Amino acid sequence: MGEVAEMTMAPEMVRQLAGASVSVELETPDMTLNIGPQHPSTHGVLRLVAKVDGERAFDVQPVIGYMHRGYEKLSEVRTYPQITALINRIDWVSGYANEIPFIVAAERLMGVEPPERAQFIRLILTEMARISSHLVFQASYPLELGAATPLFFALRDRERVLDLIEAVTGGRFHPNFNRIGGVKPAVGAGPTTRKTIQDLPSGFLSETRSAMDRVLSTVDELEDLVAGNEIVMARTKGIGILPPEVAMAYGVSGPNLRASGVPFDLRRVSDYLPYDRFDFEIPTGESGDCWDRWWVRLEEIRQSAAIVRQAVDSIPSGPLQAKVPRIIKVPAGEIYVRAENPKGEMGYYVVSDGGLGPYRLKIRSASFSNISILPWILEGTLVPDIIAIMGSLDFVLGDVDR
Amino acid sequence: MTSSPSEVEEAAGSGPDRSLADRAAEAVGGVVLAAVETAKVGISADRWVASLRIARDELGLGFFSWLSAIHWANDPQVGDPLSAPVIERFELLCAVSDLTGGDLVVFSTDLAVVDPQVESLVGVFAGADWHERECREMFGITFLGHPLPENLYLPNGFVGNPLLKSFALLSREVKPWPGEVDVEDMPSDGGGG
Repeated sequence: MGEVAEMTMAPEMVRQLAGASVSVELETPDMTLNIGPQHPSTHGVLRLVAKVDGERAFDVQPVIGYMHRGYEKLSEVRTYPQITALINRIDWVSGYANEIPFIVAAERLMGVEPPERAQFIRLILTEMARISSHLVFQASYPLELGAATPLFFALRDRERVLDLIEAVTGGRFHPNFNRIGGVKPAVGAGPTTRKTIQDLPSGFLSETRSAMDRVLSTVDELEDLVAGNEIVMARTKGIGILPPEVAMAYGVSGPNLRASGVPFDLRRVSDYLPYDRFDFEIPTGESGDCWDRWWVRLEEIRQSAAIVRQAVDSIPSGPLQAKVPRIIKVPAGEIYVRAENPKGEMGYYVVSDGGLGPYRLKIRSASFSNISILPWILEGTLVPDIIAIMGSLDFVLGDVDR
Repeated sequence: MTSSPSEVEEAAGSGPDRSLADRAAEAVGGVVLAAVETAKVGISADRWVASLRIARDELGLGFFSWLSAIHWANDPQVGDPLSAPVIERFELLCAVSDLTGGDLVVFSTDLAVVDPQVESLVGVFAGADWHERECREMFGITFLGHPLPENLYLPNGFVGNPLLKSFALLSREVKPWPGEVDVEDMPSDGGGG
């Protein structure tokens, strides 16, 4: 290396540095992406804060609490019959189903067995709530993936089901229909002093049969419409895979768990309602992706419709109410009763001291545990897949926040 | 009700889940506690994480259902007072289940009312994360080793722990609950219907 070399070094270095500056990755700050709390795909008011690197999202933190109404605290100053009005509003898409485990918990602490007919009515309405909830999912999920048509099919038949629920209970969303020891006398059926002779509205059973037929044909239509769609398949197959062991550790339950291949359904193993008298299958998925979660819910509508038809055909006659005191006092004790709700395991841990209301009520809601999986399942996913995965988990923020 | 631990043990074991509770208590070295149709097992706080690990690995209770607490207090600001005095404490509860036969066990441990602390379960059940955060803000229980001990529901800087029995329900302070009148009169009072 002589003088000449040194002299030519400077422009060479400049060239090298210029080249180097292009090849070295630029140090850029992480971009933070906020989704929600008012984004339509969040089913209420959920906010996601994600760090985004190009098209991939990392370190996704859900921010919840916008719907927190403090039901566990409020329950401590309510009587048992008053609490059903609160818990209707936990998962409002299936308000009726929320009441069941709480009422059963109170009944078991009291040692009250509701009459068979009341249990059948509870079961029929619970399955209708499941159909209605899953139809909302069948309406909203394709919409989130960009398909608007299934919404009209699904919501049309959801109305038929809600009409039937309303005909019995007087409410579409918040029936507040269960009583400790049975169910409320049917709406418009006369004064409450004659409650033993009042019952389901006339024509209910035949209307229900034809509504279930319609629901089944709509499910077929939805399957034709969605299942063969290339875009839906591309957006959901292999996306958002949830392995069963992860689902269990997070407490993910219901259709989300079954889509991961775990054939667990509380209707099979628990006796909160007389499900053991009916034939139905438990659909499960294979890979636990968004597609499986969609398919399991579609198939569950068919199974629920089958249960409703069997129950309508075999409903026994008899009273709607067991004998209970006019003022409900629940004996001291603790109990946990859980039920297979449309969104998953819904349970109530009731601590009674023998008073008019519980000393403590812990509400275990399905959506809370189901979306606690979001940071895990969204790690490293593409930004548009966030919407596909969130939608496939089918949560309701009222059920998350309580 | 559960005025002393010994009384609880005496009343224990009614209902069909007797054998499940027995098995679980034996496996984790705890005692069967009274609950209706629910298997409930009491363990000491220092065995909390180890016991839940045994429940998961040896009893097959691998499904994390929920975690929460009860504030046992004698002079509540909200709700009716207890019928018999209790030792003021927190009872921490964690329910885990299997996914075949649906066996569910509620594990329980007592924590001191002043500065309650317990090891976090997040290493055993990842799902305990949010449940412990909720429990932390609602009861003021510290979960040692929790990865993100921040408020979940309440805004940052919120003062107080709402599910403490000493935490007043402000709407009640301002106006009595109008639902009080919903409790029907007895027929002899000329009301009802």
